[in-house]
Amino acid sequence: MSKLLEVKDLSVSFNTYNGEVQAVRGVSFDLNEGETLAIVGESGSGKSVTSSTLMGLLPKPAGIIKSGQILFQGEDLVKKSEKEMQKIRGKEISMVFQDPLSSLNPTMKIGNQIIEGLIKHQGMNRAEAKKKAIELLDQVGIPHPEIRVNQYPHQFSGGMRQRVVIAIALACNPKILIADEPTTALDVTIQAQILELMKEIQRNTKTSIIFITHDLGVVANVADRVAVMYAGKIVEIGTVDDVFYNPKHPYTWGLLGSMPTLDADDEELYTIPGTPPDMLNPPKGDAFAPRNEFALEIDAVMEPPMFKVSDTHYAATWLLHKNAPKIEMPESVRRRIEGFAKTGKKGGE
Amino acid sequence: MIVNKTEKILEVKHLKKYFPAGRKKIIKAVDDVSFDIYKGETFGLVGESGSGKSTTGQTIIRLYDATDGEVLFHGENVHAKKSRVEKLKFNRKMQMIFQDPSSSLNPRMTVLDIIAEGLDVHHLAKNEKERKERVEQLLEAVGLNKEHATRFPHEFSGGQRQRIGIARALAVEPELIICDEPISALDVSIQAQVVNLLKKLQKEHGLTYLFIAHDLSMVKYISDRIGVMHLGHMVELADSDELYKNPVHPYTKSLLSAIPLPDPEYERSRKRITYDPSIHDTSEEPKFREIRPHHWVRCTSKEFEQYKKELGE
Repeated sequence: MSKLLEVKDLSVSFNTYNGEVQAVRGVSFDLNEGETLAIVGESGSGKSVTSSTLMGLLPKPAGIIKSGQILFQGEDLVKKSEKEMQKIRGKEISMVFQDPLSSLNPTMKIGNQIIEGLIKHQGMNRAEAKKKAIELLDQVGIPHPEIRVNQYPHQFSGGMRQRVVIAIALACNPKILIADEPTTALDVTIQAQILELMKEIQRNTKTSIIFITHDLGVVANVADRVAVMYAGKIVEIGTVDDVFYNPKHPYTWGLLGSMPTLDADDEELYTIPGTPPDMLNPPKGDAFAPRNEFALEIDAVMEPPMFKVSDTHYAATWLLHKNAPKIEMPESVRRRIEGFAKTGKKGGE
Repeated sequence: MIVNKTEKILEVKHLKKYFPAGRKKIIKAVDDVSFDIYKGETFGLVGESGSGKSTTGQTIIRLYDATDGEVLFHGENVHAKKSRVEKLKFNRKMQMIFQDPSSSLNPRMTVLDIIAEGLDVHHLAKNEKERKERVEQLLEAVGLNKEHATRFPHEFSGGQRQRIGIARALAVEPELIICDEPISALDVSIQAQVVNLLKKLQKEHGLTYLFIAHDLSMVKYISDRIGVMHLGHMVELADSDELYKNPVHPYTKSLLSAIPLPDPEYERSRKRITYDPSIHDTSEEPKFREIRPHHWVRCTSKEFEQYKKELGE
């Protein structure tokens, strides 16, 4: 697999009245062709800021890229001007947002909103573009596309609106689709439909997807690889199987342990104590240390580097250092993961 | 918690709540819903948006007046005409926790005044000192510090605000708390903290919960019994284990098959069931029938026989 996108040591800050908020602090990852990379984390972990930086959509002048490179097909997107970015945005990299209602223009017919990009990026005329728009609506599973194309967003349900947004994003056959919590505002049954649609589209078009979410269930469903973010950093990255069945970072343990299984009994849920740090003054050393029951002395002094677990699996915790005491994941989390594996076998029923 | 299945704390009988939608149209948000809640249990109410689960909760506590039907709390009709004194007495027994912890707390009041409001209304504190002590006690019970009492809601994170909402509900020592999506606005790691807190408080105070949510795995975890709502109707009601192991109604099956689990292996092999309302038998009006002891399904008599066969009974 070849690398489509390389993010190297990206740091993004926001200037506010209270000072500099360090939203993203040295994030590096690759995106391969045709794969889905999920970025998970809590609110404020920097996952959405990372994605809007990739799209060149940081609010200006408050948001500043402090350092780093975003290499897309060998070109650094950080150095591009707004005009150059406009050629890439929508054509090479496009985005699906969380709320389908606010990402559509309520005063424009659905068809015209899809056509916009086709005319601008692909130089089609209106008639061609309209034909293509109907095709796209059909492709994302909207019934009667020839009628629907002339309707307004308020005539669509939430799930249908998200399908329209996906159709717009796919209009110019982008190489990368960034989906920022695309199913969070939807009901579970609709969510399942949208996830299936995205997977099907990926099979047909080989588009790479960056999927941003806080829902680990959704990650397990769509992702090939997962990056777990905490306090503006990637703390663990690996294939879905690496991260879900063999997690190494205490934060990942906590996330997995705090979700109930369907076989759940009266056992108390494992929780991560405390709250995420204030990114105005990120703590010295490992940002997760104050909430980490396994924190070592060094955590308060020095940030852990990425330790290699396997060729595909990395985690940033001092627990993986060769001199660290041998600490296994908590019993309740281990049981939970085993519980998942059990329901996994029943899944085919 | 041992639930005594004989003492009913709440009986909802044929509850209906219709909203006018202009031009003689009405929306039947809750359409003939009946269920009981036993003392000390957690009753989960699940359904998608628009299923009427929140309206049911709000009608039970009389934030809405019912269009028809009865809500009996300890055998007394909540919706009957009542004097102010009677209403006060009832309000003390039933409290509510809301979804959005930032919009349900008055931004101009200190945490002390927010939590003590119930104490003031019901004259539960004799003097200022007792009032303050009681609030501090409540803050500690929900995992906050007593120093927090003088602060304002904006100084807290989402999870802490939800704890304040819980402390406020607890202040008047209620018997039943209606939790309307209390964790959906919170981060995953904070959700587990709040759920553990709710469970702990239930044990300590012998509380009964009506837990309304759309996150099915969390509802399964916290509830003893679960009712599934769809388009204003209760379509299935059973003990939570029974409901997850032997769902009968096609809608429940589709809802269960759509829950994403944090397990890649399961997700790869998962088969989603889609709900097709046209498969229902329309020869007669469906009724709520007991298919197994304590397991109820909304169906026609023909479907009833068919579901029974599927269950192997």
